[in-house]
Amino acid sequence: MSPYVITILLSSLGLGTALTFMSSHWLLAWMGLEINTLAILPLMAQHHHPRAVEATTKYFLAQAAAAATILFASTINAWATGEWNIYCLTHPIATTLITMALALKVGLAPVHFWMPPVMQGLDLPTGLIMATWQKLAPFALIIQMAPTAHPQLLTTLGLLSVFIGGWGGLNQTQLRKILAYSSIAHLGWMIVIAQFKPQLTILTLVIYIIMTSATFLTFKLMTATKINTLAMSWSKAPIITTMAALTLLSLGGLPPLTGFMPKWLILQELATQGLPLTATIMALSALLSLYFYLRLWYAMTLTISPNTNNSLAPWRLQNTQNTTLLTIFMIATLLLLPLTPLAQALI
Amino acid sequence: MTPVYFSFTSAFTLGLMGLAFHRTHLLSALLCLEGMMLSLFIALALWMLQLESTTFSAAPILLLAFSACEAGAGLALLVATARTHGTDRLQALNLLQC
Repeated sequence: MSPYVITILLSSLGLGTALTFMSSHWLLAWMGLEINTLAILPLMAQHHHPRAVEATTKYFLAQAAAAATILFASTINAWATGEWNIYCLTHPIATTLITMALALKVGLAPVHFWMPPVMQGLDLPTGLIMATWQKLAPFALIIQMAPTAHPQLLTTLGLLSVFIGGWGGLNQTQLRKILAYSSIAHLGWMIVIAQFKPQLTILTLVIYIIMTSATFLTFKLMTATKINTLAMSWSKAPIITTMAALTLLSLGGLPPLTGFMPKWLILQELATQGLPLTATIMALSALLSLYFYLRLWYAMTLTISPNTNNSLAPWRLQNTQNTTLLTIFMIATLLLLPLTPLAQALI
Repeated sequence: MTPVYFSFTSAFTLGLMGLAFHRTHLLSALLCLEGMMLSLFIALALWMLQLESTTFSAAPILLLAFSACEAGAGLALLVATARTHGTDRLQALNLLQC
C-alpha cells in the first residue's frame, strides 16, 4: 500500500479516536467511532487474503451494528429527555442498550464472538492496533456513562468476560486467538471496576495496552503465530525468548511484575466496596488465564521442542528489525510494579 | 408512545432483528444495516422538527453522509468477499472458526 494512503488511514484512525475523546454530544461521539471503523477497514483488508477479507467483513458487521445501536439508544434518550449530552443519559432502556452496544464494540463476554476470529485473520501489526488502539474510543464512552449505567449489568459483563476469556483460551494453539481471549479477560477486569473507580479502569487499560504491545511486538519479531513456532524461538533470539516468558507472566498477573498492579488495586477496591464474592470469582477466574499463559511459557522456555531445527545459524545472525519500541514496552511490562504507590497517589 | 416514535423504533428493531437472525446473504445484512440507518435518519429529522431546534438541522444530513460511507465500505467488502470466497453467502465465511 502506498505510504500516502497509509498516512491518511493512520491519521484518520487517530483523529476518529480523538473526536470521540473530545465530544460531549452523542452524535459526535458516534461520528468518531464511525471514522475509526472506516479507517481501519482498509488496513485490515490490505493483503487480499481470504482470511483477511473474512475478518474485515465480520469486524465491519459487528462494528456497524454496534454504532447504529449506540446512535439509536441516544436518539431514544433524546426523544424522552431532549438531552444529547453523554453525561445526561437517564432513560433506562437507552442506558442498557448503549452498555450492550459498547460491549459489542470492545468485545465483552456475551457479545465477544467476533473477536477471536477477527484477530485470527489479521497480521500481527494490525492485530496490535485492533487489541490496543481500537479499545480506547469505546472505553472513553464507557467511563463517561458508567455512573448512570445499570450496576448489575456492568458486574455481570465483567464477571462473564473474565470467566469466558479464561475458559475460551484453554484449548487454543493459535497465538492471536489466545491473545484475543486474553484481551476479553482483561476487558472484564476493566469493566467491573468502572462503576466504582473509573480512574482504576484507565490505569488497567494503560497497563493492558503496554503489556499487549510488548507481547505482540515480541511475536512479530519472531514471526510466530502458533505455539509450535514459538517453541523454536530459542534459536532465533534467546534473550528475547527469556524476556517474553516473563512478559507472559506479567500478562497473567503474577506479583513481582507490572501485571499484578491493576489486579491488586481492583481486588482491593472490590473488597473495600463490600463485594468479596465478586472479588473471589474474579481472582479465581484469573487462574484460567494464567494456565494458558503458562502453557505458552512452558513451550517457549521450559522444554525442548520435538521439532527438528534446520540450522542454528539464526542464533548467530544480527537481528535487522527495529526493537526500540519493543524494548520500551517490555521494560515497562516487567518493572513498573514499584510505581504502585505513585499510581495510588494519582488516583 | 406517539405513532412516530413507535414507527421508527419498530423499524430499527426490525432491521436489527433481520441483521441478527436472518443470516443468509451478506447483501441482506447490508440492506438491514441501511434500513437501520434510514430509520435513525427519520428519527433525528423528526426530533429536530418536533423541538424546532434549527441548530440541530445539520445532524440528519451528517448521519446520512456517514451511513452512505458505511454502505460504500460494506459494498466494497461484498465485492472483496465475492472475489475471495466465490459467493456472498454468510455460511461461506467459515475460514476462521474457533
